[in-house]
Amino acid sequence: MSETPAVQISSLVKDFRGSFGRGIIRAVDGVTFEIAPGEVYGLIGPNGSGKSTTMKALLGLVAPTSGKCAIFGKDSTKVDSRRDVGFLPENPYFYKHLSGEETVRFYGKLCGMRGAELRKRTEEVLDLVDLQAARRRRLGGYSKGMLQRIGLAQAMVQDPRLLILDEPTAGVDPIGSRQIRDLILTLKKRGFTVFLCSHLLEQVQEVCDRVGIIHQGVLVKEGRLDDLISIEDQTEIVLRNATPSLLEKIRNLAENEEGVEFVHTGHPRTTLERLFLRETVQKDSQEDHAPVVVSTDNENS
Amino acid sequence: MSTDIQQTPLFSLRRVFIIAGNTFTHLMRMKVFYFLLVFVMVAIAVNFLKLPHTAGPESVGAEELRMLKSPMIGVMKLFAIILAIVATALLIPRDLEDRTLYTILSKPVPRLDYLIGKLLGVLILIFVGLTVMTVLLDAVLYFRMQSILESWTQAADMLVLQEQWTDADRTEGRRELLSHGVTWSLQAAMFAIFLEAAIIAALALLVSTFSSSTLFTVVISSLCYFIGQFIGDGRDHWLRESRMADDQVTVIASKLIVVVFPDFRPFKAVDEVVAGQPFPPDLIGTLLISAGLYTGIYLVLSWFIFSDKEI
Repeated sequence: MSETPAVQISSLVKDFRGSFGRGIIRAVDGVTFEIAPGEVYGLIGPNGSGKSTTMKALLGLVAPTSGKCAIFGKDSTKVDSRRDVGFLPENPYFYKHLSGEETVRFYGKLCGMRGAELRKRTEEVLDLVDLQAARRRRLGGYSKGMLQRIGLAQAMVQDPRLLILDEPTAGVDPIGSRQIRDLILTLKKRGFTVFLCSHLLEQVQEVCDRVGIIHQGVLVKEGRLDDLISIEDQTEIVLRNATPSLLEKIRNLAENEEGVEFVHTGHPRTTLERLFLRETVQKDSQEDHAPVVVSTDNENS
Repeated sequence: MSTDIQQTPLFSLRRVFIIAGNTFTHLMRMKVFYFLLVFVMVAIAVNFLKLPHTAGPESVGAEELRMLKSPMIGVMKLFAIILAIVATALLIPRDLEDRTLYTILSKPVPRLDYLIGKLLGVLILIFVGLTVMTVLLDAVLYFRMQSILESWTQAADMLVLQEQWTDADRTEGRRELLSHGVTWSLQAAMFAIFLEAAIIAALALLVSTFSSSTLFTVVISSLCYFIGQFIGDGRDHWLRESRMADDQVTVIASKLIVVVFPDFRPFKAVDEVVAGQPFPPDLIGTLLISAGLYTGIYLVLSWFIFSDKEI
């Protein structure tokens, strides 16, 4: 029997009514994807593309108009599905009157934890997010990066199998951003399943196994990151110790040239950022009959 | 990592108390108890009030105690009602704005637990505030009563000596004076204020589940509170008129209207206690049932609306 997916979203549609009930805005349109246990999945898309609505539907915060969402096989609209999930919303502001430790304990208690188990877990997550020194300080005095990290701590407090992170590095300085990236990599090593939304494509590329690109509510591209960013009709040759003159002859001589190590051959990669722009901005331009932007590189994209 | 398959109960008293405790701490750290300073200042100010001795010495004591109680109980009622409306109106919009609602509801927390916890937190705060103020009121009344009783006894003895009063008059006068002091009726009146605040807090919670602005919730809840002061009389009048005209639709509408606008008429017994009247013992039961029903109905309606609310 195959393993139950950590996340299962099938044909998700979400409509919102306009002001005074006039008109319907379709925020998510037939989105379908799965996340396997232990995988880090990145959902990327421009503002208003439906990323957060998809996450909210998965968490049961909004009800799907049609389609289904499940967490480890449990229907997302049921409270039970949330036992196995931790959520960090975009730009979270927790109760300012609580200290870091009190915040983690509060969320732990909501998950039914108590006594020695809660104390131990509070220590662990505060260690993990490196907030032991500021544990007794009220959140009103926390920096943006610290708030994100305490947000991660509360998300992890009940030791969930799935973490949903909405823009975890939004508004955080580069150092804080890197700390959060490292933390996600640590979680990945520990076997957590991570579902992440981010605008920082470079970061998504660094941490994610698979990505989905959502645009105007539609999942326009989805798959393994390595597959998505490879260009099928081009071949790259990676050489070590190659001289400029050798590069001139490389096409004909590479395989026969002595002293040259043939390191790798395969498909050259575009960047996730370029792929993202191609799937969103350039598609918009084509739909609007605007002039096609001609790339100066020589990719067959 | 957790892999246990446990069912999350629809309602958990423990979780409700966790949310209530957090709400209580939250509001307390918002320095709402500074209101107690206002209360203490009122208590000190009214202690300096002296009545012009137009009435006879036998009735001055009761008047002074009435003058002492009236503003202090007024401030207590103001504290309870303002806090019930404003604090409750703030809760859900604030959590939504700060996105704390997302993090709470993304844990295994049923929305009913969240609503009851928030309401309970406000009610605990009002109860604690009223209890502290009641203790202060009782203390002020007790000490004031001692000094008034001494001078009253001298005046009453004089009246008996001058044969203007009989012993029965003195006993009756003393009973009348003591009824203005620390009595069980006064404690019951304080509890009635709490129950009144509980109803209005539940109503504010209901309004806040569909309102998109705190100001709207405050205005509507305040309006309902003021309408609730005379809706009972209005209903009786409409019922009489519609029964005379045999208009069944108006009869049903008149009965239903007291669900939308709570009938606060029975809570006017608090004013009677200020005037020195005893609190009818059977009224406490009526008020408890009334508060329980209104709070329950508003809470269930809030749950219906909030359970489908898109956050």
